[in-house]
Amino acid sequence: MKFKLLFGALPAFLTVFLAVRAASAAPSAAGESASGTNVIRQELVQAILGGGGQRQALLDKIADSGSGVAAGILSAWTMQEVYLYAAPDGSTIPVTLESQQDAAGTSRAIRIDDGGFLKDASGKELRFGQSDLNAAYTNIRLRRQIQQALDTLALSAADPQARRAAAVKLGYSQKPGYVPILERRLAKERDPAVKKAIHVAIATLQLGGPSAAVQMAAVNELAALKSVGSLDTLTRLAANANNNPQLENRVKAAINSIQEHIRWVQFYGTLFHGISVGSVLLVVALGLAITFGLMGVINMAHGEMIAVGAYTTYVIQNLFGSGFAFSITLPFSIGGKAIAFGLNLPGLNASGWFYQSYFLFAIPLSFLSAALAGLLLERAIIQFLYRRPLESLLATWGVSLALQQIFRMVFGANNVQVSSPNWLLGHFSLDDVSLDYNRVFVVAFAIVIVLGTWILLSKTPLGLLIRAVMQNRDMAGCMGVRTGRVNMLTFAFGSGLAGLAGAFLSQIGNVGPSLGQTYIVDSFMTVVVGGVGNIAGTVYSALGIGTADQVLQQLTGSPVTGKIVSLVAIILFLQWKPGGLFAMRSRSLD
Amino acid sequence: MKKHFLKATALVSVLGLALQVPAQDTVKVGVLHSLSGTMAISETSLRDMLLFAFDQINDSGGIQVGGKSYKIDPVVVDGASNWPLFAEKAKELLEQDHVAVVFGCWTSVSRKSVLPVFEKDNGLLFYPVQFEGEEQSRNVVYTAEAVNQQAIPAVDYLLDQGIKKFYLLGTDYVYPRTTNLILYKYLLLHGIAPADIGGGFVKNDSGQVISAGKYVPFSYTDFQQIVADIKQFAAGGDACVINTINGDSNVPFFKEIVAAGLTPDECPVVSFSLAEDELRSIPTKNLVGELGCWSYFMSLKTPENKDFLGKWNGWLKSENYPGVVKEHRVVDSPMELSYDGAYLWKEAVEKAGSFDVDAVRKALDSGDISFNGPSGKITVQPDQYTTKNVYIGTTLANGQFEIVKQFPQVVGQPWMLKSLDAQLQAKGM
Repeated sequence: MKFKLLFGALPAFLTVFLAVRAASAAPSAAGESASGTNVIRQELVQAILGGGGQRQALLDKIADSGSGVAAGILSAWTMQEVYLYAAPDGSTIPVTLESQQDAAGTSRAIRIDDGGFLKDASGKELRFGQSDLNAAYTNIRLRRQIQQALDTLALSAADPQARRAAAVKLGYSQKPGYVPILERRLAKERDPAVKKAIHVAIATLQLGGPSAAVQMAAVNELAALKSVGSLDTLTRLAANANNNPQLENRVKAAINSIQEHIRWVQFYGTLFHGISVGSVLLVVALGLAITFGLMGVINMAHGEMIAVGAYTTYVIQNLFGSGFAFSITLPFSIGGKAIAFGLNLPGLNASGWFYQSYFLFAIPLSFLSAALAGLLLERAIIQFLYRRPLESLLATWGVSLALQQIFRMVFGANNVQVSSPNWLLGHFSLDDVSLDYNRVFVVAFAIVIVLGTWILLSKTPLGLLIRAVMQNRDMAGCMGVRTGRVNMLTFAFGSGLAGLAGAFLSQIGNVGPSLGQTYIVDSFMTVVVGGVGNIAGTVYSALGIGTADQVLQQLTGSPVTGKIVSLVAIILFLQWKPGGLFAMRSRSLD
Repeated sequence: MKKHFLKATALVSVLGLALQVPAQDTVKVGVLHSLSGTMAISETSLRDMLLFAFDQINDSGGIQVGGKSYKIDPVVVDGASNWPLFAEKAKELLEQDHVAVVFGCWTSVSRKSVLPVFEKDNGLLFYPVQFEGEEQSRNVVYTAEAVNQQAIPAVDYLLDQGIKKFYLLGTDYVYPRTTNLILYKYLLLHGIAPADIGGGFVKNDSGQVISAGKYVPFSYTDFQQIVADIKQFAAGGDACVINTINGDSNVPFFKEIVAAGLTPDECPVVSFSLAEDELRSIPTKNLVGELGCWSYFMSLKTPENKDFLGKWNGWLKSENYPGVVKEHRVVDSPMELSYDGAYLWKEAVEKAGSFDVDAVRKALDSGDISFNGPSGKITVQPDQYTTKNVYIGTTLANGQFEIVKQFPQVVGQPWMLKSLDAQLQAKGM
């Protein structure tokens, strides 16, 4: 159902993304007065080419202008995307490169001083590749100066998140000079989160303040605001406040209240990390809960089904980019002829939002490709082994080795790059507990696929058949159910779920030939602890293992100890309850 | 099975090629790297670079000894990422093939396993990959970056840029542990309080710090808590992360760093095990502005480097050794140091006028064996460490580095821990 919806919406998506692309291709920003922009452009050129103290003054001036053009160029500068063109007359012209590249990987250069394209003496537009030009110099200190200018610009940004981040950064600048700028902004600010950030920033800056009274007020303010970032500043202040016992006590009280706050933040953070790790385990193990749990196939190739999903995501990403090609020559020959085959798929060369949406297409396609692989595996091998679990272990293990070698031949032995779409990179904060988008995404993703599986198994005719066949294949066969077909579809569905896991794992980890090996043990562990044959058990066991792992990691302070303790706990638990959380009698266990 | 068979044929054909060279006026040289197993991804590139260097030396007249010109005859063996096998193969090279010199090893543990063999048979090993120091053998020439040629310059640069808090994070084995302990002591010496060094400490019974920093196993993937910890550590500003994570754990680590919004201007990450070759399989758009420190970057704009890269690309097009990948190749510091090693050895042999290890060592120890390589001048010191340029670069979106700082001609120091302990004691710390 879900997939049908996605495909139904495809044309609409396409038109929207294309429209966005067209809009962003227009060269320069409108709306600012041309003469003002020109002055700023000259100042930017001086800042990029000049050095030392003059640079700071210029950057301050640019920052006060509030210009959108300046923000764009300054952030290009920190990304090392401002290049220096050595003109034939000996002068140096700073430029940025247009994002649109031609076939040779070169693009037109945009002059920073007038916003036009760079031309040679005859008026021909010059084109450059990224490595043809030297990037304008930056170092950490300069990056910070630029960043500060950007932050001042950002204080008046339209996005409240950006304003908040800007206020926080200015607070740590330790430059009291920002206080008036921040206060001016505070008067205009409406957003409560941004207001809090500005208050903290002002108080932090005033800690160094001109008088003890101002300092005291600032300390009280920070304690009331529970500002984690101020802890270092307050600790330093406590160490230097010996001559003022009253201030010292106040500072110490503030530190205590902030530390108390940090403990709560850690508590909720750990809880969230636990749930997200549990969700990853769940996503990874759910497919196995079907192929191993319900069907009783000890499926050692489950990990490779995950890898199929991950590589599908990689291929889709490349199709949205510059295309995907491979060619392999088989390591043997027939009749003296070497056998080689290959594939060359042209890319869409998408950019912007359209490119970022590749992942939405990759999710259903990962499901389909892994399901197809599972279907072939079931027809070719597993259907002959339903009554021989140990042989199915060996056969699927063999398949897993073969698949790994195929990945190596097609995609190379190295890991491949999968870049996360921007909408999965980033986070939002709930009272200092930071929630990464990709982690929130996996929790939602886990909920959706568990719900989907539940609906399929308990609310559809196919689900009824699946349950019947899993409970007693012979009896179901006698009742007229085509058990072979149901087995095939069930195995394909379980493999498809593994493919979905792969699509998600490509966003948080490595994609390589041995990807599956990393997760196979975790998958079996989750299913066994949950109780073989019971999907609800897998859900509880995944969340339980995830949370226990993160809590123990937090308590012991070491990533390894947490894992060891939870594995030991699992061994003891299985001694106590060999059938797992929800022991269940089924065909596979008889 | 097929795979092993293939490897074996590839190997035999390399040896076969070697045997076709006329027997007189050649000198056998060993190449001991992992061509299979987990380390093959990194080490195969060093084999390729060495074959290039040997071809280049042979084509320009070979090695001149006693008025005769000798061609290099490489004997390539596979350590297969298996440390005891490394020792076996070293023995084979020295006792059966009687090679004049061996270029090889990547991990410190492989170096430690071949060391007794080289010392017993009086062989000579050129070692090219950044390492933890704290070792000095008469039978090894360390062209690699010692700690004070990578980690220490990087920290100096960060201190100079106003960084006041350092979070130490690495993979759990000898190189990161030793490097971080050295850095911990170095930071104390430079006035950084232990509270401003993140990652945690392990102390022995007498309260002395014996390990600093946070460690994860190889191939670790869940960095949520560590990054949350870093975020809190960096909340007060002026913080950085010293990253000695090895291998593919770097991908989940950097993805988590980006997701948590830790940008390079807020909290830069300086990595010691990520060079151009490793960056090929990492989404580099997440790493723009993060730092690296090596004695060579492919993006160096010297005429020597341009010439070197041009010849390397030309060689890749024309060579026909089995197993050398021709597409998407990059050069990084361990490769460049392997190349330098070949020329340093040639220089030393020509000066000694003999291939005899003792004579060559005497020449090397004189302190005036040097080579003007792609990264600048590299000189063998009397203690068989090397003096060379060190560069700091920031990562670009295309997986290359923009060089931001150069430390010219840094002298390699073998025993950092001891000298730092002495300095700390002198200061009463």
